[in-house]
Amino acid sequence: MRKLAVDVVVIGGGSTGAGVVRDVAMRGYSAVLLDRADLGQGTTGRFHGLLHSGGRYVVSDPMSATECAQENAILARIQASAIETTGGYFVTCPGDDPAFADKFLAGAAATGVPAREIAVAEALRNEPRLNPGIMRAVEVEDGTVDGWQLVWGAANSAKAYGAQVLTYHAVTRIDREGNRVSAVHCTDLKSGEEVVIDCNFVLNCAGPWAGQIAHMAGADPVDVIPGRGIMIAMNHRLVNRVVNRMIYPADGDILVPVHTVSIIGTTDVKVDDPDNLAIEQDEVQQMLDAGEVLIPGFRNARALHAWAGARPLIKDKRVAAADTRHMSRGMAVIDHTERDGLDGMLTIGGGKLTTYRLMAEHIVDAMCEKLGETRECRTAKENIPGPEATRNYVVTHRLEEREHDRLEEQIICECELMSRKMFTEALANQPKGTFDDLRRQLRLGMGPCQGGFCTTRATGIALETDHIDIERANGLLRLFLKNRWIGLWPILYGDQVRQTALDNWIFQGTLDVEHLPQPESEVAL
Amino acid sequence: MSRVVVIGAGLAGLTAATRLAAGGASVTLLSKGIGGLQLGQGTIDVLGYTPDRVTNPVLTLAAIASSRPEHPYAAIGAAGVHAGIEYLKGLLGPELLVGDAETNYQLPTAVGAIRPTCLVSPSMVAGHLKADAKLVIVGLRRLKDFQPKLVAQNLARTTLPDGGNVTVRYLSIDVPARDGEVDSSGLTYARAFDDPAFRVGFADTLRPLLAEGETVGLPAVLGLKDLTAWSDVADKLGHPVFEIPLPPPSVPGMRLNAALLAKARAAGVRLVPGSRTVAFRASDGAIVGVTIETAGAPREFTADAFLLAAGGFESGALEMDSHGAVSETLFGLPLAGLDAGPLVHGDYWGAEQPLFKVGVRVAGDMRVLDGAGAIVHPNLYAAGGIIGGSSRWAEKSGDGIALGSAVLAADSILKELA
Repeated sequence: MRKLAVDVVVIGGGSTGAGVVRDVAMRGYSAVLLDRADLGQGTTGRFHGLLHSGGRYVVSDPMSATECAQENAILARIQASAIETTGGYFVTCPGDDPAFADKFLAGAAATGVPAREIAVAEALRNEPRLNPGIMRAVEVEDGTVDGWQLVWGAANSAKAYGAQVLTYHAVTRIDREGNRVSAVHCTDLKSGEEVVIDCNFVLNCAGPWAGQIAHMAGADPVDVIPGRGIMIAMNHRLVNRVVNRMIYPADGDILVPVHTVSIIGTTDVKVDDPDNLAIEQDEVQQMLDAGEVLIPGFRNARALHAWAGARPLIKDKRVAAADTRHMSRGMAVIDHTERDGLDGMLTIGGGKLTTYRLMAEHIVDAMCEKLGETRECRTAKENIPGPEATRNYVVTHRLEEREHDRLEEQIICECELMSRKMFTEALANQPKGTFDDLRRQLRLGMGPCQGGFCTTRATGIALETDHIDIERANGLLRLFLKNRWIGLWPILYGDQVRQTALDNWIFQGTLDVEHLPQPESEVAL
Repeated sequence: MSRVVVIGAGLAGLTAATRLAAGGASVTLLSKGIGGLQLGQGTIDVLGYTPDRVTNPVLTLAAIASSRPEHPYAAIGAAGVHAGIEYLKGLLGPELLVGDAETNYQLPTAVGAIRPTCLVSPSMVAGHLKADAKLVIVGLRRLKDFQPKLVAQNLARTTLPDGGNVTVRYLSIDVPARDGEVDSSGLTYARAFDDPAFRVGFADTLRPLLAEGETVGLPAVLGLKDLTAWSDVADKLGHPVFEIPLPPPSVPGMRLNAALLAKARAAGVRLVPGSRTVAFRASDGAIVGVTIETAGAPREFTADAFLLAAGGFESGALEMDSHGAVSETLFGLPLAGLDAGPLVHGDYWGAEQPLFKVGVRVAGDMRVLDGAGAIVHPNLYAAGGIIGGSSRWAEKSGDGIALGSAVLAADSILKELA
């Protein structure tokens, strides 16, 4: 058993938790961030990549709109390399109410969201694949964000301020002394070791799993309603700006260009278990139909991968529990002192990735108030360190890098232009990681071939560099192919069937991977 | 002279076209791409798994032919496969293919699995492992598709199909295929190995690192055009060597493709590559002509018989659209295997995905049948991957199906048109 003692334990390694641990550490508290999996493996990694301009909420949720507009500008500055300032359009599609644009523009003006109506011809000139039947177009400052880079950036910033980040540490118990939280018990899932962390305060940032964490501390149930949304990545940037339908927020109304793909999203269905998110065929068809409205011929484009995420919405009694879209996306800080007579713990729910920094500021302010201390939040003022920290991402960055080092570095993943050095450095930083852990930072296997060519290279290089043994090498290869398939089979049609046939030909036909020595048990982490 | 159009330039199309032309037909071969041989492993798979490991492919496929009526081998039969294998061996000769239909080689793959296959390049034969063999797997640092430690350590912990184990070590050497290039493909290396001077340098680098009695496993890049490059390397090293096939581009597949293409040309096959065949015209049920898409204008090829050898999903001959509808993309042929329930499922390491067993059904003369077992077009035949009912890659049967169906289809057409 390992013992640690810190001021604050932050539970949940998504964007909220990473933002919170950074804020806590910057205010001078000692802190530990815990997640039962990798950083950004839950909701943060399973969204459409949109950095909101606020436009989406100017009519439905004015306060969120204003917050988004402000935070968008802050994040594009402090985490420049995680964000591409693509800009965005709201467009009135055939059949949509053209008058909504007037409400939209009025809402934008009232909420401080920069928005400007442009001529339809200009929109079509800039985004030629857009439905030529659109009736109105409004330009906004939407961007796109790599959720994994965002969360790793915040976590690394926290580490620079002395925080510890413990991934693959599952919370098993929360101790109380009297009415006060006193320690958090967790298991290091990679080694099996028990870790007990004495603390003054627990910040529960577990998103859809926050109810489970609160329950461990003996609090009354926190009603988190996981709202499942599915997303589909298409293999090109069908658009270079975020394209939104100019309607009241609905399913399938956003197409987001992120890195080399574009992502259509999303649906919203209440689910009971955030660990079990199916990608239903009818929702896939619904997304493809929605894509056709924005981009005629969308169904003929190639779908690469699908995924589902769970929104961490806190139940609001004003709306029916089954309608999660119309619950407030505003953040809610739950004070367990008032609610449960439990001191030393706060739970945060709701919110959205764009406002993750602000959410952190709020909950850490609330904690300071409870501790009777005044410590200033500085997270908006200081840039997050990292490569090219002051330069916003553009899709050609990697191409530029590879052009510089192509004579010195092999390209291990051609689809995503991942070099051998990128892979071996990430592996050295996370030697116990799975290829999916590395993928979230490197985009390994996320392109059109979905791991067809890079998986065996990655396996061989990881083995050769002595980070893993042969048993784990085969296990990681099997796990990666299995996990890629989870997001492939629900959208398997068209050219991706052809790609899958080629991949099967390589793995089954040429390499005969299924007849490698079978691992005694499958690698899971 | 009777006229035949063959669609598809893979193993099935090239073999059938050559046999047809040699048999006196006037043959036009239409192809969109460069043929599937260059995507595969460059050996001839007849039957590798049932799912048990197969040692005698022809014997085992006879059992499949009688017990699994939906399998292509039920229509092709052991005799058909035998004829196909013998024909190909006769065409290509022992510089390219050795082995026989009664025995599978068990050869290491580029991840270190041991793979059953029937006919192989002589450059691979020393990879057929025997108990207590001493191997060294040699990687080229600038060739990323061959990771020697992965191959060696998997082989080392594998019990051979006949029992026993091998001793394996690995090493990597740095011999650039082209100066200043760190990321060379297998094809680039194969071209380098065509140069005798490169082979001298390679052997001089590797020889001092080898130990007495070792057999040397190398990536399958030992020459593209020079079929003696591998044996020259072995001679220079003073050790037996064997090639291990890599993911595409497949150098052994390119060698087979080049040789087979030369045979087709020599037999008088008219090759029309680079254009997709997009439409057909029928009269009284018989196919009259097919049309290719070209830069100028669509162009029709009329013939007395047509052989569809265009492959499966991997080539675009079969497609599934976004609504889940599966079709054969040229003739709109009836497909077997669509009624098996869901065509894809989420268990990657579980049962074969039923989608990839979908294809056309054929009669014993390789004419295409409909669901009721009736001939669809009296002069339309099929060969190779377009025929459904098998898990070609998993069971390692694709080449046997291609060869058997190609030879049977060619012979049926020649007989019909005689």
